Amino acid sequence: MAGVNLQLRHAYSIAQFVPTVSSPPPLPTQRVRLGTSPSRVLLCNLRANSAAAPILRTTRRSVIVSASSVSSAVDSDSLVEDRDDVGRIPLLEVRDLRAVIAESRQEILKGVNLVVYEGEVHAVMGKNGSGKSTFSKVLVGHPDYEVTGGSIVFKGQNLLDMEPEDRSLAGLFMSFQSPVEIPGVSNMDFLNMAFNARKRKLGQPELDPIQFYSHLVSKLEVVNMKTDFLNRNVNEGFSGGERKRNEILQLAVLGAELAILDEIDSGLDVDALQDVAKAVNGLLTPKNSVLMITHYQRLLDYIKPTLIHIMENGRIIKTGDNSLAKLLEKEGYKAISG
Amino acid sequence: MAAATVLGRLSLIPNLSSKPKLKSNRRTTSTSVSVRAQASFSDPFVLQLAESLEDSLSASPSSSLPLQRIRDSSAETLLSTPWPSRKDEPFRFTDTSLIRSSQIEPISTQQRNSEILDNLTETQFTNAVIIDGFVSNLTIGPSDLPDGVYFGKYSGLPDELTNRISEFIGNFDSGDLFWSINGMGAPDLMVIYVPEGCKVENPIYLRYFSGETGDRESKRLPVSNPRVFVLVEEGGEIGIVEEFVGKDEEGFYWTNPVLEVVVQKNAKLKHSYLQKESMASAHIKWTFVRQEAESEYELVEVSTGGKLGRHNVHVQQLGPDTLTELTTFHMCVNEQTLDLHSKIILDHPRGASRQLHKCIVAHSSGQAVFDGNVRVNRFAQQTNAGQLTRSLLLKPRATVNIKPNLQIIADDVKCSHGAAISDLEEDQLFYFQARGIDLETARRALISSFGSEVIEKFPNREIRDQARNHVKGLL
Repeated sequence: MAGVNLQLRHAYSIAQFVPTVSSPPPLPTQRVRLGTSPSRVLLCNLRANSAAAPILRTTRRSVIVSASSVSSAVDSDSLVEDRDDVGRIPLLEVRDLRAVIAESRQEILKGVNLVVYEGEVHAVMGKNGSGKSTFSKVLVGHPDYEVTGGSIVFKGQNLLDMEPEDRSLAGLFMSFQSPVEIPGVSNMDFLNMAFNARKRKLGQPELDPIQFYSHLVSKLEVVNMKTDFLNRNVNEGFSGGERKRNEILQLAVLGAELAILDEIDSGLDVDALQDVAKAVNGLLTPKNSVLMITHYQRLLDYIKPTLIHIMENGRIIKTGDNSLAKLLEKEGYKAISG
Repeated sequence: MAAATVLGRLSLIPNLSSKPKLKSNRRTTSTSVSVRAQASFSDPFVLQLAESLEDSLSASPSSSLPLQRIRDSSAETLLSTPWPSRKDEPFRFTDTSLIRSSQIEPISTQQRNSEILDNLTETQFTNAVIIDGFVSNLTIGPSDLPDGVYFGKYSGLPDELTNRISEFIGNFDSGDLFWSINGMGAPDLMVIYVPEGCKVENPIYLRYFSGETGDRESKRLPVSNPRVFVLVEEGGEIGIVEEFVGKDEEGFYWTNPVLEVVVQKNAKLKHSYLQKESMASAHIKWTFVRQEAESEYELVEVSTGGKLGRHNVHVQQLGPDTLTELTTFHMCVNEQTLDLHSKIILDHPRGASRQLHKCIVAHSSGQAVFDGNVRVNRFAQQTNAGQLTRSLLLKPRATVNIKPNLQIIADDVKCSHGAAISDLEEDQLFYFQARGIDLETARRALISSFGSEVIEKFPNREIRDQARNHVKGLL
């Protein structure tokens, strides 16, 4: 454990000395991925569309960085700058982030600014459709969205240059709002695959299923899950609450320096919420950070935020401490945006 | 009509002559009939094939009565059956030119394939090794099979069973040309018999090898016609495993097997079928199953081999409260066609059938074909029939032709079918990536898991592991 931490710190230190501004790192080799078609019900012949060209990753990112002044964002920026961050290195820096839906080109993120330091807990709140979940998906590289402006720097690296799996291996974890089912792949196998991917990244030996199992059992206790979950296929037939617990189990097993939790509280009863919150709190260290997306004050009672951000129309329009959530609960979003 | 009359007259001639003379006489007459009356309906290619099949067996010792009867009726059928073309509905998407354009050579003698026998992986099960259609090796331990269970050649059957079994063999009118070719060319008849109330604990393993290989250049194509009959008497239970392997990966040959099954009242048969032929071969198999009341027939299939691989499954429910379950997986990783034609006929009340067919086509020139007929006849009230087929197309121009085909006459029935064709799901791939797993690993895991839904249904762990490892090795 100590060794692992030491290596991580070492890697982090190295990354810090790379001057990202003066000499941008070369783009990684783009992997060609075959176009995919949605499932269709057919009663006749189907020939795979030979005209479908492979979709290149590069087309999903734009080099254009548009400079725009947004007066309402000034509050957020000012507040960020006012923080006592002398000598601290930011874990995540989002600057004027813009993103569109890849298919429709509809702009969803319109200049998001956010800085997260180690050991901080951030909550993002806002009305439905304000861009909260889009923000989390853009951070982890979901192919449905294309970044059209701004920058994201994570641990000194340009996140936008990285494949989704490399962002994950760099220490970014996202708990999905609606996790998909993976029939045929057991929880045990899935976690072992993901865990060993991290081992390979660190240059450490992989664990075989037996070794991994004992590592896993202790994590199950963290999220109050039974061992029979391991034999079940990933999220197949899981209730909404079970899926959320499964996400936190994955976080507990894999670890992360920044955990993005997208509405982990929706669909959970009070007991389950406390279990999940307890698990998240148990994973917090001065090095780890959390970015929570939620609608409800209730979650913030269990996981205390360092800062709360209000998102509206694709931007963070206000940042404050816990009193901001109370004001929101009392007076609604109108009071914030007005 | 004229032909039928002549043949009818022949059957009335009393058997007073000596056997050799009668045999010779019959053949001559048959040929004459064919030339005169059937010329416009017969296919010269098929006739020549039939003749070479007959010649290849004439050197063998005298055949058992059921085999001879099958040969006679098959010969008669072949007189008027042309080779199938793309215009014939059952072969609309299945190109048989690999066979049609070859110099077909029936394998006439049992090879001394000690190499095959030596290389056999050991198995704990009672098993038979069938090489090129001939039973080459039989392994039965003294305590392996309960009393009354028979496993061996028809010729070795105890006298009290021969009549019982002969009743059922060969009584199938809906077979096609390939069924008749087996009927004419089968050199041996393997029998598995389970007596009333007997539950056989361990499965019987039928290991089919193709030892003879032809030559793609000269188009010499050896054909073998293995034939097996299974009878499970009332209340009996057994599992059988069929595994088909070529001697080498590039073997050029044609395997044309037939399996006939009778599952009597309240009996159960679990049938595992693993098709791993070479990628240059043809494999066309018939499975014909008759189920009596309250019986259960369960087929689990994984097929990956053959430039042309086809499985014809025909299940007839002959009594009420009968369950038929077919769970199949076809995987094309080369330029090949894999085809499942299934027909389930429900004729009695409260019959149930459950069918799941999965295909993966992982090659641009690969093709999967599925024609799934479920026929619910007038008296099959309260039938519960479900059919689902899922296909993964992993390459541009990979092809699948799917034809769910439900014919429902009864009016108190619950039937469903579904067909889904897709590539891997983007959301699932991304879920893997978000956990640090790269795309290639994710794709492999998802493809593997797609087939595992079928593989997990093999009742026996050794077979499950074998199938799983085989599929992984191909990916």
